[in-house]
Amino acid sequence: MWLPAAGLIIGVVLGFLISVEIPLGYVKYTAIAILAAIDTILGGLRAQLEDRFDLAVFLSGFVVNATFAALLAGIGDLLGLDIYLGAVIAFSIRIFDNIGFIRRDVIARYMKSRR
Amino acid sequence: MTRKPAAARLPGALAILLALVGFLVITQVRNEWRIRRALRLPSTRLEELAFELRDQERGRAALEKQISEMRVRLVEYEAAAAEGRAAAARMNRALQETRSLVGLTRLEGPGIAIELSDSQKPLRPGDDPNKNILHYTDIAAIVADLWAAGAEAISVNGERVVSSTGISCVGTTILANAKRMAPPYLVAAIGDQKALQREMRQPGGTVEQLVAFGFPVKLTPRDRVELPGYRGAFRFDYAVAGADGAKER
Repeated sequence: MWLPAAGLIIGVVLGFLISVEIPLGYVKYTAIAILAAIDTILGGLRAQLEDRFDLAVFLSGFVVNATFAALLAGIGDLLGLDIYLGAVIAFSIRIFDNIGFIRRDVIARYMKSRR
Repeated sequence: MTRKPAAARLPGALAILLALVGFLVITQVRNEWRIRRALRLPSTRLEELAFELRDQERGRAALEKQISEMRVRLVEYEAAAAEGRAAAARMNRALQETRSLVGLTRLEGPGIAIELSDSQKPLRPGDDPNKNILHYTDIAAIVADLWAAGAEAISVNGERVVSSTGISCVGTTILANAKRMAPPYLVAAIGDQKALQREMRQPGGTVEQLVAFGFPVKLTPRDRVELPGYRGAFRFDYAVAGADGAKER
């Protein structure tokens, strides 16, 4: 468990050390990237709990989802529509779904271990 | 594909993604702060900004009203300033008038000149030589007669007679304004020529008395009498200006 925690800490420290200025119009892309990453992490955790974790699926899921969301946001910018909100909503729904599955899996495991 | 390697790879993958999330979140938050600081906006939320905008617009309307009020006041002040300049000009005129009334300025105008000299009559034995000499009282009497005759300004041998002029003598020398004088004496006055001549020549007047005692007195009307300004200073070491209408005590 220490490796993910170390990763998070490294990321935070890097964020404070490296000052990246995001132009005002590109703030939503970072937001989407954050959501995509959280979604991928939760999906990976869920897969782990269900014993079907695959690194290729895990990473490709992140890359493809993030890319497609970014594409949507870009098209939205071109059209003057907030299409990226669709990606935000989809990621949010998936995040909540995954949290629900993870909760159930954890409860199921706990019950199983008690029996 | 065994379960173990896949599970073992999870923490590494999680670590990478968590690092990404951490980095992005921090960057995003810092950018948000930077934008707020740069725009000096309390928020980037649209509703709050709309509220802020309405607030500022109300403030701007109030300030514009204030500006127009200030402009009106400025116009008033300018008018007052112009009035003040006019008042200053009036005061300056009044000051000049006062200066000439007091006797500090040169004056000219029609008037008369009175020339006086010591008597040239030869002294007979037993005569008092004082009787042949003009005394300061004679000059003072002439000046007093001139004032009484309506003279507007008087000078004695080029010394202007002002409110503080004293005519006195030291030995055989007559002083006016503390200036020494020697005969012949020329007393010049500005005023109504006819009135001055008539008054000065009236019987029992100083001029007649002096003539009777044998002093050469020449009274001539002059169309243009020039009087110098008083060159001395007025001193009020004890006198203090009182309120108008103060009673003499």
